[in-house]
Amino acid sequence: MEKAIEIAGLWKKFRLYRDKAVTLKERLLFFKSRHRWEDFWALQDISLVIEKGLTVGLIGRNGSGKSTLLKLMSRILYPNRGTVTVNGRISSLLELGAGIHPDFTGRENIYLNASIFQMGRREVEQKMQDIIDFAELADFIDSPVRNYSTGMFMRLGFAVATSVDPEILLVDEVLAVGDTAFQKKCLDRMTEFKKRGKTIIIVSHSLEQVEKMCDTAVWLNQGRIQSMGEAGKVIGEYRKSLG
Amino acid sequence: MQRLLEIYQHREMLINLVAKELRARYKGSFFGFMWTFFNPLFMLIIYTVVFSYFMRIQVENYSMFLFVALLPWNFFQTSMTMGVSSIVTNSNLVKKIYFPREVLPLSVVLSNLVNYVLSLAVLLPALLFFKIELSFNILWFPLVLFFQFLFVYGIVLIVSALNVYFRDLEHITGIVMMAWFFLTPVLYPLKMVPAKVSGLIYLNPMTPFVELYRNIFFYGKQPGLIDLKIVLLVGFLFFFVGEIVFARLQRDFAEEI
Repeated sequence: MEKAIEIAGLWKKFRLYRDKAVTLKERLLFFKSRHRWEDFWALQDISLVIEKGLTVGLIGRNGSGKSTLLKLMSRILYPNRGTVTVNGRISSLLELGAGIHPDFTGRENIYLNASIFQMGRREVEQKMQDIIDFAELADFIDSPVRNYSTGMFMRLGFAVATSVDPEILLVDEVLAVGDTAFQKKCLDRMTEFKKRGKTIIIVSHSLEQVEKMCDTAVWLNQGRIQSMGEAGKVIGEYRKSLG
Repeated sequence: MQRLLEIYQHREMLINLVAKELRARYKGSFFGFMWTFFNPLFMLIIYTVVFSYFMRIQVENYSMFLFVALLPWNFFQTSMTMGVSSIVTNSNLVKKIYFPREVLPLSVVLSNLVNYVLSLAVLLPALLFFKIELSFNILWFPLVLFFQFLFVYGIVLIVSALNVYFRDLEHITGIVMMAWFFLTPVLYPLKMVPAKVSGLIYLNPMTPFVELYRNIFFYGKQPGLIDLKIVLLVGFLFFFVGEIVFARLQRDFAEEI
């Protein structure tokens, strides 16, 4: 099997600032006094290989490092130790609507947002109608986004990010978007991705969802991999630990 | 080198950001994009009135002498003051999506570059209006502009990255730019500077640029060879140092913002 993502011996440290000194004045004043921060190892010694075409669920309690791991995969964060190797175009849904500019129209935002994901102008033009239909924004696409409702805003974000046709899709807890009908559409789109052999990595607290969608699961506990393998088995273990 | 390739792959994003920058600046104003031309035009009119009727200066065609140097200076200054905060103000993007972060400061510099080039549409007719002969030396303009672009981009990379860690830099930049303006022979000819300090002024990388622009537009002379060599060196030096510093600092942007 080909590898989509390979992580080897990864450690990630955050600084927890007691009271962060941001300005020059503060830096000079408190230059001597150390221990303004504590090191916090958000991820410790993570090694895992994700094969192409698999759907992987990351589960674990709040603060266990799931989102951090996703950010490291998308190269928003860099590891302190170890390596992350990625093969293929990544699209990340870490937060819907990132990079959407309120003063521009829905259509202008589609161009802007799609280009952040490296889509060319022609590609966007071809997919424009699809995106508009999927987001159910036909009547509003040429009005400024600041007039949109929260739901419309989210739908626009999801529609653009998933139209990118990535080889690897990273999804962080964003499927709780919109009404039930739209949620179903999102899930359908993910299933379609899966069928086309794309790699998907999902962070979710909904164990039912992970059970339904994922082939394998990784259970993170306090920054370490507690267990990984076949989704049903790992979820079973996790459920047991929750009591 | 790989970073440059990645920036190239994100050219569509860059184009969109530059277009957004240019349009957002005039969004909602009645004259819209025409302000790109009105701004330098009115600047020129005001300077001409002030320096020919109120404060007479013993330099021939002083308002044009000033204008020729002021436009590239404004390109530099606006790029700096807007660029220094370009990473911080786009924190929502930096924290959520991967893209080469250089795209943000680069889009600021490019949009100001476009503005500068468009202001030539005011500069060239104005030169003719003041009966300053245009010569073929104008053809040197793209080359000088390219080196200035490298210089401005390099220094904006550095300040925008440092600003993530020391937010004071935004305010410091404003003050430094004011001092820098007077240390650059924009308002005055270089030969007016006493010999004792002229060496100091030549340490300022903006000086040879201003001199070159003045030569090719105002005096219609060939650009000085020494000046050209200096700006070539300055351009590439700042460009490479900027890229190296930025590449090192950008790794922690998402955490520090």
